[in-house]
Amino acid sequence: MRFRANIDNVPTFFRIMQTLEKLQKRLIIKFTETTMHLICNSDTNEGGIQVWSQIKVPSLFSKYRIQSNANNEITLVLSSEALLGALRSASSNPSGLTINPNNGNANGQGNNVNSIETEEVIVRLTKKNEQAMLSFEITGLSRLGRTVRVAHDVRIEVLKPLDAARLGEPLCPAPDVHVLLPPLQKLRTIVERLRPMSNILALRANNSGVLQIAVNTEGVKVETEWRGCTNPKTSEEEENADGDEDEGEKDPEKLHSVVISIKSFLKFLNSHVVSTTTIACICQHHCLILYVYIGDVADAGGVLTFYIPAVIDE
Amino acid sequence: MSQDERIPAVLTASVADVRYLASLLRGVHFSNMASVTLSRSGLTITVEEARTLVGYAFIFAQVFDEFELHASKPNNPKPNRPRRATNGDAVSDSGSTEPESDEEEPDAPTVEAAFQINLNILIDCLNIFGTAGPLPAPSTAANNFKRWKRDGEGDDDGVHGEDGRANGGRGRIDAYLAGGDGKRTSMRMSYEGDGYPLTLLIAEDANGPTTTCEITTYQVEPHIDLEFDSETVVLRIIFKSSWLRDALSELDPSCEKLTFIANPSVDGPQRPRLNTQPMLRIQADGTHGSTEMDFPNDKEVLETFDCTQRVSFSYRFSHIVRTLRALSSSTKTSLRIDESGLLSLQFLMPKPQSTGADGSDGFVEFRCLALDE
Repeated sequence: MRFRANIDNVPTFFRIMQTLEKLQKRLIIKFTETTMHLICNSDTNEGGIQVWSQIKVPSLFSKYRIQSNANNEITLVLSSEALLGALRSASSNPSGLTINPNNGNANGQGNNVNSIETEEVIVRLTKKNEQAMLSFEITGLSRLGRTVRVAHDVRIEVLKPLDAARLGEPLCPAPDVHVLLPPLQKLRTIVERLRPMSNILALRANNSGVLQIAVNTEGVKVETEWRGCTNPKTSEEEENADGDEDEGEKDPEKLHSVVISIKSFLKFLNSHVVSTTTIACICQHHCLILYVYIGDVADAGGVLTFYIPAVIDE
Repeated sequence: MSQDERIPAVLTASVADVRYLASLLRGVHFSNMASVTLSRSGLTITVEEARTLVGYAFIFAQVFDEFELHASKPNNPKPNRPRRATNGDAVSDSGSTEPESDEEEPDAPTVEAAFQINLNILIDCLNIFGTAGPLPAPSTAANNFKRWKRDGEGDDDGVHGEDGRANGGRGRIDAYLAGGDGKRTSMRMSYEGDGYPLTLLIAEDANGPTTTCEITTYQVEPHIDLEFDSETVVLRIIFKSSWLRDALSELDPSCEKLTFIANPSVDGPQRPRLNTQPMLRIQADGTHGSTEMDFPNDKEVLETFDCTQRVSFSYRFSHIVRTLRALSSSTKTSLRIDESGLLSLQFLMPKPQSTGADGSDGFVEFRCLALDE
């Protein structure tokens, strides 16, 4: 079993990990020849939220080499915080690089931890003392121009191919409505205000570009509505244009809703750091699926898929 | 009018920028439940703590761009008959509102409706888009001084027409539109009457999202009535809020008791001589020790100082600290103590772009009972 790669796009990888680290402590990563899958599917997650994401290898890595007995796939479990730490070391802060002419002592202490400019980050699968781990080797230039090498070893647990095969995305019926979400930053501000009011949140959308978020408790009813959202067409819809499983007439004004836990929605909204476009798909009363695109949608560099199951509202 | 016709809501009000309103509400946000009293002159938010401290936020109708108040749903069939001042039972079922009789005109009652509401939720809703943050502390430069009436509540009744619409409300929109940093959140509120929720419609801009909130209202619980006896005022001071704010923030949080000591000025205020007795002293006592802060007999600091006899009253420090939020956003403070020791602190909260001294700046008042010593 061998694996090594150069991480070219550290900032994006870092932002993805920032989102996932807040979600779950142990993360499953599956490396294949073409894709890196990040999976958070613990039952103890807040509100039952799960993340299944696929990132195309070329958008993050270069000089990628993988080899294993299991169809050249490697599945491992590691601590998300540890991985985040390694990536933080690897993120260089360009502002830390400006030479301050007044500051003769370019020690950089007190300014910024990342006072190195990263030149190269290599990740390798290694084994030390019978313990498998991912070794990150970060090479950079310090302010004074000296080469600096930082190494991070992140302990991992390699999953047997049998266990890896058992991992499967949750089954969902075909979504009732797809809608492009407004900027997640804005959404996050609003949902944060709603959090002290209630534990659950209703999300409603229709095929005419209306999106609503509502909270309904004894003390207060709040509903926020966006009009003019885009309803992206998916390939499935085009196939099903003639025959529909559900209703014969698809009323574009009909609002489809799902009730979810506010905390899990907030965990999803943590991905505002990485998302450029986010599409929400509502399976009425069943679940909410959110596709967070990393980078351009057209490039499809990567997608983080969030599954949030509906809460049964008594 | 037929019976089936829709009775207009008791209150309809709107404002283009909620920040000022939110800052007034924050000034009294030291407890979750607040009672809101609606009258023709505006809204009054009352919050109470420990039967000792009461905070009032007076939001005059002119703060709003639109303010319409109708008589609340009566029990008798004629909805728009003008109410009589003493007709307390027709105001609402709960019977909890009694029209205040100090300054109303004989035909129009002052208190139209009252309800209790969760202030946390109200402030969160106003701030839902994150733009109703605290206003920057107003500058204390002399040219920002707005003349204000000490007993401001009573003076506004005369200018209102019979339907309570605030005069000049429309003109003030320009003041809000002119200059501004970032998005403005505008809000429209309405209240149908007793038992109905307070409805807020909040929008950021025309294209953005709109939020509708319905906040449950509850029956008013009677507040302790701390009547300030204007006849027996023993101390009256007006000074810049920044002095009091600086003084209070210097104090160690472990203080338990705050005492205001004042001595009548020996000479006239024109020629202050070196006095052995301070004009105003704030003394703070706690487990760790005590602090004394003396204010000089200087017009620059104490703009108005009336003291008839030596005054010394103590108050629980934790109550006085509750006033800090309102104090930080205000420009001027009036401190009055009557002979029973009841302290009345009034903070003037100037509107961000107030066109002038029209007496419509909101203010927040705190009344606190003295500790029995």
